[in-house]
Amino acid sequence: MKPRSMRRPALRAIPVLGQRAAHLFIVLLLPLLTRPCFAQATRPTDQVDQGTADILKQLETGKADRAATERSAPEAAPPQEQSVEPPQISWSRLIYDFRFMLATAGALGVSGAVLGLFVLLRREALVALAIPQVVAVGAAIGMRFGWPTLPPALIVALIALVYFAFSKRWGAASWVVPSFYVAGLCLSFLIIANHGQDVEDLQRLFVGVDVAVDPAKAAIAIPVLLVVGAACVLLWRRWLLLAQAPAAAELAGLKPERWDTLFLTLLTIVMLLGTDSLGVVMVLSMLFLPAAAVLPWARRLPSAMGASALLSLVFLAIGFYLSNRMNWPLSQSVGGVGFAVLALSQFAARFQ
Amino acid sequence: MNYRLIEVREGVFGYGGRAVVAVDRLELSRGECLGIFGPNGSGKTTLVRGVTGLLPPMAGQVLHEPARGQITDGVASYRQQGMRIGYLPQHRNIELHWPMSGLDAAGLASSARRLFGWLGPHAKDVLAMMRQLGIEHLASRRFADLSGGQQQRVLLAGALAGNPTVLILDEPTEGLDVRSTQDLLDLLRHFIGEGVAMMIISHEADDLMQVAQRIAWLHPAEHSGQPSRVEIVTPAALGERILQASRRAG
Repeated sequence: MKPRSMRRPALRAIPVLGQRAAHLFIVLLLPLLTRPCFAQATRPTDQVDQGTADILKQLETGKADRAATERSAPEAAPPQEQSVEPPQISWSRLIYDFRFMLATAGALGVSGAVLGLFVLLRREALVALAIPQVVAVGAAIGMRFGWPTLPPALIVALIALVYFAFSKRWGAASWVVPSFYVAGLCLSFLIIANHGQDVEDLQRLFVGVDVAVDPAKAAIAIPVLLVVGAACVLLWRRWLLLAQAPAAAELAGLKPERWDTLFLTLLTIVMLLGTDSLGVVMVLSMLFLPAAAVLPWARRLPSAMGASALLSLVFLAIGFYLSNRMNWPLSQSVGGVGFAVLALSQFAARFQ
Repeated sequence: MNYRLIEVREGVFGYGGRAVVAVDRLELSRGECLGIFGPNGSGKTTLVRGVTGLLPPMAGQVLHEPARGQITDGVASYRQQGMRIGYLPQHRNIELHWPMSGLDAAGLASSARRLFGWLGPHAKDVLAMMRQLGIEHLASRRFADLSGGQQQRVLLAGALAGNPTVLILDEPTEGLDVRSTQDLLDLLRHFIGEGVAMMIISHEADDLMQVAQRIAWLHPAEHSGQPSRVEIVTPAALGERILQASRRAG
């Protein structure tokens, strides 16, 4: 071992640093250790109004009573394990209360699942992701000026749709769509910046934690969503043709770009109504997850569409059950169930 | 009977004001097979789009039934005259991640001409053609599970089910093995013999020489900005010219 004098300077400095660290620790920790004393000296009751002072007094009295009870409790009776009964849920009552939301979500599930199948097959998932962000810009304008959210959302979505259709024709769609996504996220919040309640409403629209649909919205959304879903189902051979043999379609006198625009329009309608009624998370869950869970097993499009629509309703039912049983947010519950089924489906499909 | 269906006179075809391919004279008659041969980017597809009316000529004329002097004004005028143009896509271009049966794939061409794309009773015509080609058993099979040769025959059945006057085939033998190629060419010869006019786009000279009566050989321009030039040659001449060219290349 080296003699003490030959040790490296850095090692010799350790005790010095240790002392300094101890001083620093004391200086920093002292105020924290003495904080209760200061806090006691500056009690809120010295500064607050009489009403608050009364509430604080009641709380202190309550605390004192509770402490006395706890002290006397072991003498009074031995502690017993109390069985906590889960609150009884009246499902019929719950379904009745949420009937408009459930019906709208069901309609969104059916139409979204059918459209989502073609969105995935046509590899247009990014477009579907961008549309709700664009819709949110319109909704933010509505919130900012105290208007209903649907009309401005519709106008903004239509403008975006036209722009996207042209950009697709010019071959610029691949970079326009991601830009829409980011722009929608930014602009929607900039429009309502510093408007406290509106910011919260917009966040709710994006996250979809509190899902509530009023009868007026449901009356518009449900029939339109179902008609759009039915139109998409009826035209399945058209979507197949346009994807597989656009030249054959042109030779038969069809205009592929017009049909593409029609598909985008149907998609935009579903995204618009779904986002406005149920939030972004619910729309995207219904659009992608049932279709993605069905596709590994699909042999033909009609059966895939049927299974996808059915699965979306199953996701909704299980999500609604879990949401109420576990006190989870509904959209996220539906999305979680959907993803679990999707993962299982993908896994099981590997053993086909 | 050598009944001319389409004639192109002094035609120039292109996009956005840029001429891609120029042809002095090109004819297609009933029961004839015209090969479209040339290197990649020479304008084969542009020429076919021009001949079929999908692309209006920048100069010259495209005549439908030239004996009657009908000037074509796009696909619509072909249809008005009762001429049906079928199209056989490359089986390699089919997106196999779409779930569809053999019948769905074969029904593509027929569905293009129906309202909302519904096949309805016309599915029977498609099935009948599949039966004629000996592939009826593939109707219910998953299209993605079929071999390349089977896929091409299924698509051919669909293209022929519409009873086309002119059939366009885009690289029909691409990616097929020797046996499947030969089977397909035999089928094509059979239907040409029955009076179907065909235009086959291919860069496989051997295949074209087996079925085509004449071949439109596209020569890319030596200077950029100029259109490819079309030379009409016989299959024998094409073989000889390719041989000469390969000898020159060493």
